[in-house]
Amino acid sequence: MADTATLSAAGGSEPAIGRGLKGLLLVAIPVFLVGWLIIYPIFAAILSTLFVAGPDGVQFSTASYQFFFSDPYSRANLALTLWTTSICAVLLLLVGLPIALYLRFSTSRFADLVQSLAIFPMFVPSIILSYALIRTIGPNGTVDILLNAVGLPKLPTPYLTPWGPVIGLVWDNLPLTVLMLTAGLAGISSPSIEAARDVGAGPIRVFWYIILPRMGNSILVTISFTVLGIFSSFTLPYVLGPASPEMMGPFMLRTFNDLYDPLNAKTQAVISFVFCLFFGLFYVWSIARNQRSQSR
Amino acid sequence: MARLKIESLRKSFAATTAVDDFSLDVGDGELVCLLGPSGSGKSTILRMIGGFEQPTSGMIRIDGQDVTRLSPERRPTGMVFQSHALWSHMNVFNNIAFGLKLRSLSRGEIQRKVDQALELVGLAGYGHRQTFQLSGGQQQRVALARSLVLEPKILLLDEPFASLDQHLRERLREEVRDIQQRLGITTLFVTHGQDEALAMADRIVVLRNGQCEQVDAPDVLYRNPQTEFVAGFIGQMNFLSANVEGGRFRHPDFTLDVEVQDGPAVLALRPEALRLEPSDSPDAAGVTRATDFGSHIMVDVELRDGARLKVMTAPDARWQKGQTVRLAASAFALYRQNRLLARGGLPVETVEGRSRHALA
Repeated sequence: MADTATLSAAGGSEPAIGRGLKGLLLVAIPVFLVGWLIIYPIFAAILSTLFVAGPDGVQFSTASYQFFFSDPYSRANLALTLWTTSICAVLLLLVGLPIALYLRFSTSRFADLVQSLAIFPMFVPSIILSYALIRTIGPNGTVDILLNAVGLPKLPTPYLTPWGPVIGLVWDNLPLTVLMLTAGLAGISSPSIEAARDVGAGPIRVFWYIILPRMGNSILVTISFTVLGIFSSFTLPYVLGPASPEMMGPFMLRTFNDLYDPLNAKTQAVISFVFCLFFGLFYVWSIARNQRSQSR
Repeated sequence: MARLKIESLRKSFAATTAVDDFSLDVGDGELVCLLGPSGSGKSTILRMIGGFEQPTSGMIRIDGQDVTRLSPERRPTGMVFQSHALWSHMNVFNNIAFGLKLRSLSRGEIQRKVDQALELVGLAGYGHRQTFQLSGGQQQRVALARSLVLEPKILLLDEPFASLDQHLRERLREEVRDIQQRLGITTLFVTHGQDEALAMADRIVVLRNGQCEQVDAPDVLYRNPQTEFVAGFIGQMNFLSANVEGGRFRHPDFTLDVEVQDGPAVLALRPEALRLEPSDSPDAAGVTRATDFGSHIMVDVELRDGARLKVMTAPDARWQKGQTVRLAASAFALYRQNRLLARGGLPVETVEGRSRHALA
């Protein structure tokens, strides 16, 4: 009897160990790739900006960071990037939330068309979008031609101004924003909305007191995602944005390629990474908070 | 206290008619149950009264005022949903106080009314709790308090106990009935549970395919169902199909003299209206199963044509599987094309001397 019990115990634990090893093997390749292609370059970049080769050999130095934060042009580029990111996040919420609300609560067949249109930009490459916007809102673009046709003066074009990338980035990030907000709204049950209307809340009060507080987490996650994407965007700011100041993406490329200054390019990358890391941590915190509230 | 009047209400969803020409008068302080199987249109009617669905045609009046086209927030109704629909980002107090805050009442007045409502539903002192800290029954009480605190003219309950266990359901329905009677609030209650309807309602509306089958008090509905559907839906009922020929219902095991036109008919017999007696005849009906419910024993009997009847007997009676029995009925109803042809308390007895089906 004792032998049987011992055998059973041994037989039961062996497959568990096997399963554990298989699980580790399955995640080993992705973990290795993340370590090799993401974690290692991050630490390598950070270390190479702090330990710089000098006349007396490699030594610790924060000179490149001091330069970045004392250089008005670098600070202006960072400020433009933060401004563009903030404006885009606000505009995406302002545009995306009404669309998401419509898609969540509409029973009309027209909603399918709206959803298709809202998701369409996801399938348009950024470079195509950039040139499409130049042809539309750029000098002598479609808008100018139409205004001219009805005898109206040209409007100041947003092309090559800070508003150029804003328009492009909002258009480009709208699908992801709408999808995430719609997913968040799906978690709010219809009876809870109807209960609010039943006790006397009109549509605006339902939105303000019932919907908005319950989708705060979805909004935080949406903002985190869009901010991460926009802060590190390159193509749209490069093609549509102003030459000076410029967003961090084009700034890094120009510093590296045109000025042949890898140390300052890496410093700009590390500073951009720290900002993105902050939003990333914010996203992780939101997810953790959401999971805690769901488990209650 | 209010009167609800529904006139020729109709609701279509594309090609499907959910509610068809439904009319009902609900008096002051009356509790009316809308009872029917899934898809019978009972919830759609309730949602139209609450303003959550717009009728295709028809009219809804509350105290004479036409509310058919009013939005839910402008109707003098309060609805309790099956899923409680509490707002999880608010505590119990704020859930109940939300409607009062929208009406711009003073803080003291809100506090007083919420406390009263909580006491009414037996949750005094629970105001500070989060809704997820409450049991299902407590959540449903909070939902009830949230509706009652606004003193609606009409209270609408949409299967409020469906998500609760049997024991809690029975307790809560008694409490809700008690609160409803104390407040004298006109109430419409949707359920697909006949026991709930029979226990709570002043009147029951039985619905099928969006149409009203019968509206009556629970006892009338049970004892005098006007359609075959109602007879089968309310309580347990045995049905036997046969032809009426020459003024006699001719079933191989039951014969009955009836004053109706010849043609096919369905004989309806309640289990408690049937009586069982042991029989020595090998051709008599046989017991297939006897289930002891404590208060009574339900005996399944198979007739010679394969039809099975349920017979309610006293708890001290003992019936064996395979035992041959003789059946006698003390009351019956006869239906044709879902309409009542005749009913009576005449004795209907099994015909002896027929071959009995083999019992399992």
